[in-house]
Order: sequence, then structure tokens, then C-alpha cells
Amino acid sequence: MDKRPARAYVPIDIDRRAPLAAEKLDLLILKTLALRSEHGYGIGQRIEQMSRGVFKVTLGSLYPALQRLEKDGLIGAEWTTSENNRRARVYRITAAGRKRLAREQEDWERVSAAVTRILKTT
Amino acid sequence: MSPLRWWNDLRHARRLDRQSREELAHHVELAVAEKVRSGLCEVEARREVRLELGSPDAVRETLSDARVGARLDALGRDLAYAWRTLRQRPAFLAACVLTIALGVGSSTALFAVLDAVVLKPLPLPEPDRLVRIHDTNPAAGVMRAGVASGNLADWRQRTRALRGLAGHYTMGRTLTLGTDSEVVLTAQVTEDFFSVLGVPALLGHTFTPEETAAGLFNNAAAPVGADPVLVLSHALWLRRFGGDAGVVGRTVSLERRPFRVVGVMPAGFAMPEPGVAVYLPWGFSGKEPRDQHYVKAVARLAPGVSLPQAQDDLRRIAAALAGEHPGTNAGWSVTLVPLREDLVGDAGRTLVALLAAVGLVLLVACANVALLSLARGLEREHEALVRLALGASRGRLVRQFLMESLVVCALGGALGALFAFAGTALVARSEAGLPRAHEVAMDWRALAFACAAVAAATHVSGLPAAWRLSGGLPAAGLAGTPARVARGGSRLSLRDGLVVAEVAMAVALVAGASLLLRSYRRLQAVDPGFDASHVLVAPLFLDMEGYGGKGRSRTYYAQLVERLEALPGVVAAGGATALPSSPVGPDFDRPIWPDGAPENEHARWRAWVRVITPRYFETLGMRVVDGRGFDGRDGPDGALTVILSRGLARTLWPDGRAIGRRLVVDYSTAGTYPYDVVGVVDDVRFGGPRQPPRLEIYLPHAQKPYLVMNMAVRAAGDPRHLAPAVRAALHELDPTMPPHSLHALDDLLGATYARDRQTMRVLSAFAVTAALLALLGIHGILTHRVRERTREIGIRMAVGADRSRVLAWVGRYALRLVLWGVGAGLLLSAASARLLSGLLFETGVLDAAPALAIAGLAVLGLVVSLHPAWRATRVDAAEVLRAG
Repeated sequence: MDKRPARAYVPIDIDRRAPLAAEKLDLLILKTLALRSEHGYGIGQRIEQMSRGVFKVTLGSLYPALQRLEKDGLIGAEWTTSENNRRARVYRITAAGRKRLAREQEDWERVSAAVTRILKTT
Repeated sequence: MSPLRWWNDLRHARRLDRQSREELAHHVELAVAEKVRSGLCEVEARREVRLELGSPDAVRETLSDARVGARLDALGRDLAYAWRTLRQRPAFLAACVLTIALGVGSSTALFAVLDAVVLKPLPLPEPDRLVRIHDTNPAAGVMRAGVASGNLADWRQRTRALRGLAGHYTMGRTLTLGTDSEVVLTAQVTEDFFSVLGVPALLGHTFTPEETAAGLFNNAAAPVGADPVLVLSHALWLRRFGGDAGVVGRTVSLERRPFRVVGVMPAGFAMPEPGVAVYLPWGFSGKEPRDQHYVKAVARLAPGVSLPQAQDDLRRIAAALAGEHPGTNAGWSVTLVPLREDLVGDAGRTLVALLAAVGLVLLVACANVALLSLARGLEREHEALVRLALGASRGRLVRQFLMESLVVCALGGALGALFAFAGTALVARSEAGLPRAHEVAMDWRALAFACAAVAAATHVSGLPAAWRLSGGLPAAGLAGTPARVARGGSRLSLRDGLVVAEVAMAVALVAGASLLLRSYRRLQAVDPGFDASHVLVAPLFLDMEGYGGKGRSRTYYAQLVERLEALPGVVAAGGATALPSSPVGPDFDRPIWPDGAPENEHARWRAWVRVITPRYFETLGMRVVDGRGFDGRDGPDGALTVILSRGLARTLWPDGRAIGRRLVVDYSTAGTYPYDVVGVVDDVRFGGPRQPPRLEIYLPHAQKPYLVMNMAVRAAGDPRHLAPAVRAALHELDPTMPPHSLHALDDLLGATYARDRQTMRVLSAFAVTAALLALLGIHGILTHRVRERTREIGIRMAVGADRSRVLAWVGRYALRLVLWGVGAGLLLSAASARLLSGLLFETGVLDAAPALAIAGLAVLGLVVSLHPAWRATRVDAAEVLRAG
């Protein structure tokens, strides 16, 4: 078995160290946007906060994912002007996105519960 | 993809890219601001953000790659990469580009010619409604003759199938401006000529009905009407009047009579034939003969009337006229032909055959470039395999190699288009015996053809290499050992197939070219019945005003012959109204019959009339086979005499001598008299070697003086050197009567089969090009095969194989390629024989001529294989083993 101690305090670059999570980044983005429409930075911040600092979202993983989701019609985006007069691109979840989120969330919960059960078996 | 769409996509992609940049920058700024708030200095904050978030530029590229326009960006990158790769091998690039330029250039030029001559409609309004009318008399063997001026007016009155009908007749006349005289081609045209064709004057106007009614000509086609007018062609207007818009109303001298200029035709108006410089109105007096078929007629079909319907209508009228005027019209009917078909004739057949040939040349060129790419591809196999191993998709590799081929073909096509520009300019100016040659030019249609040729060439030349290279197995290639294990010998590889195809196409072209060459030699070998060498021809157009009086032209020509014969270096001088191969002069036929023949036989024969001076036969080198030529006995007061062509003598009196018999010539308005036959002269090929001899009669100029004569001078040496002396003699006799032209007779004779010569030369050039390319192909593939197998050869030699076995291997290989190629080439030429058969003269497509040429090509194929074979024997076994 891997003898290395768990290093939960080190943020994990979501694309490099946690391929499992990277695959699920789409799901995390959808979840974030389901709570509230956000611009890119905001999405990154939310994921970081909600994972309590475990996931660190890089530009290289976040934006291609956003582009993909937008192309698939799961999220929408528009340019808005923020309070300090800067233009920002704000993403929101679409109806199709919500549907997808519900399905993927259910799948994930089943799978992760199963994986956890297996790993906890002694 | 259309260029517009491409452009829009590109602009859209640029905009999205700008947005990504802004969005990413915003993200970074917010992150930096956050760090600064937590107490870091700005510089440190930026550093940390960059470490944590990664490079925004890289992300932007990833995003843009994934977008719609990405494919185009990639296209541009592929192009740039292809260009960089090709630039590293300038020799390879130059060879490929030149080869493609040759193929694309020649095929584009030929297409432009075919397009202008055959495909494009005549540059006249509604050209498909224009028809040419021919008189026909099948019983007398006349299929397409000019029409008789006397019938024209009746047709116009009686038919409703035509919207207009006009006659025209061209001849040379002397135009004098100030003191400068020149002979120009003039067309006398009847009422409606310009309206039938639908072309108005550029300046002034075309002829009014009054002007036309006044435009009368006498029997010798000399204008005799009062207050004569003319219209200038655009070319003459530019050349002699400097394009002066004030020319309308000015007076010029034509045949010593003052003519008022009433109009100028627009540029590009080349009717009734290119080169016509002056138009004269032609009014009919109502007494025109119905039996002189020399007028050309052009008509426009009435709306809704088809050509067969119009023909039926005119045939009905011709039948009625035959009933009304049995003496002149019996047996005569008409045939209608689309005007374009009449002008273009069978030139299309030649051009289609040549275009097919040039298509083969283009294919051979493509095959050669494909071979070069394949050969080079082998050197690049490693690159391709590395890229495959690194994850490049096969589609991307194919695209990459096609891109290189596109660069080569586009460059070649651009160069080829320049070749084509030069080539078409040459054709437009040349006298290749091609109708509508003046319309030949590179235009957008030809350029579109060039683009299509480039696109086709890109694929044909690029796909084999792309195919081959993208099919490799990365593991085998990267393992480092040469993956080239000698393969079994009997299968033809892709490259072998390309070489075989090249040889086959070269064989077909060489076969075709040698057939044409054989046919051309046979044309040249035809005895024309006269000796064209050492003869200078000067057509003269004396005018009515100066020489119309009794016997004045007789005196003039008698004096001229005397002066010409007195010139140093002149052997003999003489003239004829119509001289073999000379395109000018009155060339007409008349009904004839043996004196005493029953009246129902009078319309049975027609003979072509040539009026000649006494020493004409000696001058032309024609052979008097019986009786005598004309001399002093055949003067104006002597008995009327005639000399027959051998064919005519045999036709009329198959069983006995013609000499001493009497022949009646129906000279229409000039009278019908019997003539004593005093001689028989050998047949001549009047219209060139392709035309069979005609039935001809010769009359003495002294008894039947004509104004227009083709004067000929036989020289001891080069006749062209006599031109200044002849010109001076003419000037001395009458400075206002310059010759129409001065040509060596063998040039004129050559011009009658100029198209055969051009076709033969062009096809030979194609054949030689294709053969050279095919030989290069054989040499190239063998060189590469030997290089591929250097190791194997070395090992074999090390274990005892001697050089002869190596030689035999290469030889067998070359022989196999050549034999396959010759076999396929024979099939190809058999398949294309029909294209060629119409062009050949007394030469069957199964002629033996190509056999020798093909055998020669096969031998050459083996000869070029000697070099790679020799290199194979020089492989140093020891070195190979050390290197291995």
C-alpha cells in the first residue's frame, strides 16, 4: 500500500494531481453555477472554498471546460459590466445543464458511495 | 468552402480570441487583487498567481484551437510548415514546380484555344440563330457552294422563315491615302448585312438603303455606283487614321475612286472574316446571274423557326425557282448550316484530340511529382512515424502531405498560367490555319480551368505519398532498424504502378505523335502537280478605273511579264487568275460540255476556270502531258483555245485524245462559245495536298483579259531575295498598283496544311515531354530501389553473388516496368484511336509507324536503367557489413 501520509492541507491542482476530480470538473462547475451565476474567477473561487481548499482550479482546466459546456448548451454566458466598471463574462446554468447535473450527481453519489464502501471494508 | 465564409469565420475567430484574452486577464487581475489584499506586494502576487493558475496565453491558444476557426488556423500552419519543409529542398521543389507548370500551362493554353474556337458562341447577338446558306447540286457533285446573287432577292421576298438574309463577297482592293497605296481586304455586303449580324457601327452609321441601292458593281466586281461610300474596320481605322473620331465624312481613294467614309465598325467585329478592312455597300440591279455561285450568304432565323424548318422553306423556294428558270437553276437546291459550324469547320476535332493528349501530359507530370514525393517520403518516413507516435492523427498527416503537394501545384499552376498567357498570345497572332484564332485569349474561364487542373494535380500528385506515409507503423519505424525487408518480386507496388502508368501514357502519346508524323510526311510527299520551290507569288488587283478599257490589262500584264523576265535571277514569269495555294484571286467554276453534246448533258460537268499568261506552266513547273501550252498563236485575234487538266480530259474523252476536240464553256453573261482544245496539263492539287485535284480549264489571258492576276516568278535561287526587285518592277510600271502581298509559293503551299503541321508539332512536343518524364520516372524508381536494397545487395555479394546477378535483378525490374507500360500504353492508344483517325491523311490508325517509336521508347527505358544498375554493382559489401 501507499505509505505516504495524506496531505489534505496541500491544495490539489485539479488537472494534474486529481484526474478523477478533473473528469468531474464539469460536474463541479455545473453545481457551482446551479447555486449562483458567476464569472470564471468566481467559479474557481467557489470550487476552492467549497472543497475547503483541497481543489485548486487552474486557468488551463477551467476555461476549456467552460468552453465545452457552453458548446454543449449546458451553460450560457454573457458579458456584463461589474461595479468597478470592468467587463466580465458571467456564466449561468441552462435547463439542460440542470438536468445533466441532477443525473451526474446521482451517478457520482452511487459510485463514490460504492468506492468508499469498498475502501472501508476491512 | 467559399472565400466569403472562410473570411467570416476567420474574423469571428479573431473576435472570440480577443474576448478570451480579456476574460483571462480579468481572472488574473482578480486573483492578484485577492493576494494583494492578503498582504503580498504586487510583484510577488503576480508571480504566485502565475504559478498557481498557469499561463493565460497557453490557455488562450487551447481555447482558440478548439473553436470553429481552428481548422483554418491549422490550415495556415500546415501551409507554413509545408513551405518551410519544401524550401529546405530547393532542387526538389524546382523540379516539381517546373513539371507541374509544364502540364498545367500547356493544358490551360489548349483549353483557352478550344474554348475560344469551339465552345464559346460567336461574339454576336443571339449567335445561335445565325445560319450560313449554301447552294447545292448533288447531281453535279456540288455539296456546298456559294449562292448565286440572282437568287438572293427572290429568297428574301418569298421566305418568312428568315428574319434577314444578306450576301457578301470579299476581295482585295487598292486603298490609297495620300501617295501611299496598299491592297486591303474588302467585303462588299448587301442590304441587311449588319442588321442580320446585329452589330451597329461604332462611329457614324452602317449603310442606309439608299447607299446600298447606289452601290453597284460591274462584271469585274469593280464599284461603279455614284457617290460611293464605305465603312472602315476598327483595325484599319486605328492603323491608318490613328483612331481619329473625325474620320467619318472624310474621303479616301479606293481603286482610284473617291469614297466617303460613313462609319467605323467596333473592335472585335470579325465578319465575314478576320482581316476585312473595308466594307462596301452592294446593291443589286436585278440583272444578277442565277448561275454564278460565288456569293456567301448569312441569315438570321425568324423567331420560333428552327433550322430544318427554314431549310425546308428555302428548298421549296429553290424548287420553284428551278421551275421558273430551268436554264440556270435546274438541279440546284440549298443547305443551311449553323454559322458557327460553318466558320469553325472541323477544327474542333483537332483541338479535342490535342486536349486529350495534353491531359495525358498533365497526368504524367502529376505521376512524376507523386513519384518524387514518394521517394522523398521514404526519407521522411522517420518524421512521419515520430509524429504518428506522438499522437498526430493519420488524417492530419495526410493533410500535411497534401498541403506540400498543394504548395507545389499552386506554384506550378501560377507559373503554368504565365506559360499559358504567352502560349495563347502566340496562337492569337500565329497563322496556324485555325478559325477564330483572333478570339483566343486567357480569360477567367481559362483561369478557372487552370485552378481545376491545379486542384486535380494536387490530389493526383499528393495522395499516393500521403497514403503511403500515413499507413506506417510507428513501432517498426522507431525501433531504429531499417524496416525495409526485401519484398517478394512479382507484385507491383504503388510506385511501380505510377511508373507503369507514366510509361503507358507516354507510349500512347508517342504512338499518336508518330502516326501524325507519318501522316504529315505523306502530306508532304503528295505531288501537288507543280514545283513550289523557287517561286514568288504576287497577287495583283488592277482596278476598273485604270485598266477597265479594252485590252489595257492585257497590255499591262504582257509588259509586266516582259519586265519580270528581264530581272536578273528570274527563270520565268507568268500569272493566273487563281493560282494553286494562293488564297486570293477569282476562283470559280463554269458549266462545260463537249461541243455537240446533247442539251441534257450541258449541266453535267463543271470545270474551274483559270486564265493564264503564256509562260505560266513553265513558271509553276506544271507538266504539259499532251499538246502544247499557250503562246503567240493564242492572241486576241486567234481562234479561241483552251487547255484541259488531265482529269478533265479523261472525264470528257476517256477513250481518245482531247487535242483537236472542241469544248463549250458556258460563260454566262459573257457568252457561251466553243474553244479548241490545244493541250492537256497534269492535275494540280489546287487547295493543298489534302484536297483531291479538281477538273480545270485554262484560258489564255490574251483572249480573256482579267484585272486580277496572281503573278508568279520562278527564280534561280531563293525567291524571297527577288521580292525587292519584283516590287520595284511593279512600282516602275504603275506606282499606284502595289502587289497584294509577296509570298514564296512553298510557304503558301505549306499554309494549306498548316494545321496538320501545327497539330503534329504540338503533339510531338507533348509526346517528347511525356517520354522524358516517363524515362525520369523509370530512372528515379530504380535508383531508389537500389538505394533501399543497398544492405541486401551488399550481404548477397558478401556471400558470393556476383555482379551479373545484381545487374540481372535491376534489368528484370526495369524490363517488367517497361513491358507493363508498353502493354497498357497499347491498350490506351487503341482506346483513343478514334480521336486521332479524323486527323490522319492516308494513314490508318493501325499503321506500322508507331511500332518503331514505341520500341525506341522501350529501349530508352532500359538504357536509363543502366545507371542505377551500375550503381547497384558498385555496392561495397564490406562497407555495408561494417555499417550494418
